[in-house]
Amino acid sequence: MSTHSEELGTSPRWLTVVGLLGLVALGFTVWLGLWITPPDQVQGNLARLLYIHPPIATVALYWAGGVALAGSLLYLWPRTRSFFWDRLAASAVEVGAVFAALTCVTGSIWGRPAWGAWWTWDARLTSSALLFILEVGYLALRRVPADPHLRARRSAIAALLIALDVPIVHFSVDWWQTLHQGGTVLDPGFNLHVHGSMAWTFLLGFIAFSLLFVWLLGVRYRIEALQDQLCDRELEVSLSDRWREGTELAGVGAAGPTEPDGGAA
Amino acid sequence: MSYVDAGYAVALASLCVYALALALRRRRWEHALKAVRTEVPPPATAADDPAGPASGARL
Repeated sequence: MSTHSEELGTSPRWLTVVGLLGLVALGFTVWLGLWITPPDQVQGNLARLLYIHPPIATVALYWAGGVALAGSLLYLWPRTRSFFWDRLAASAVEVGAVFAALTCVTGSIWGRPAWGAWWTWDARLTSSALLFILEVGYLALRRVPADPHLRARRSAIAALLIALDVPIVHFSVDWWQTLHQGGTVLDPGFNLHVHGSMAWTFLLGFIAFSLLFVWLLGVRYRIEALQDQLCDRELEVSLSDRWREGTELAGVGAAGPTEPDGGAA
Repeated sequence: MSYVDAGYAVALASLCVYALALALRRRRWEHALKAVRTEVPPPATAADDPAGPASGARL
């Protein structure tokens, strides 16, 4: 079992490169999505929102959900138990919550002109909202004061509950025939629905948001590790202070009691 | 503003704000850790007193 004091597992240089690449890719996605690609035959310009909505949803669902699940399982597994996995899972859940919220918001903005409603209790929408609520619950649970091992175990179990919702969100459009359409880019047979410049813009969007997710995850992980290091350091200082007080008291005791008037007893 | 513009604006602005908040949080924690390391003397070690607790001892 490792302690909180293990070395930070992130490399700022590669992380900075990933962040910059993500930023450049996002810039190109916006440029291609808003100005270069043609309007869709059915949806017109509204289809441009789909260059960002499915990539954001992919990050929220698969990347963040996958990292949170893997980290939690590796923490719970006794042979791989390490606070590294706990921190990684917690970081993925927080970043995932931001992307889950953006999935709902961008979907809602697309749904208003396409469906005539900001929100409907469709299976995909409801399960996506549930994912966000579960992630917020995980973050709240993590703030409950507890022993680090207990907190990590609780969090890992909560992350498993979040992971249960991921396949429900994924298959919701197949299991229930509600308003949300099926796969935007790929159908269940992995056939492409989009072609040409629209397909390349989609691909770039997926790469951009995935790189940004890695960068955000790395930064968030570093914060988590810094918090743990500070906690360890403060504990060391407290123990040291108490030890010093104890030795000082022992020194006074060894010198013997002293009469108030200065005479030895 | 069209729905498309609003969608892009909300998504990009939210990600920018979150990224900035993370960067600020990281800086704050780095400063806090640095302050604890520099302001407080290191804890007693076994070399200082053989009977003392080892550095990094946990409860």
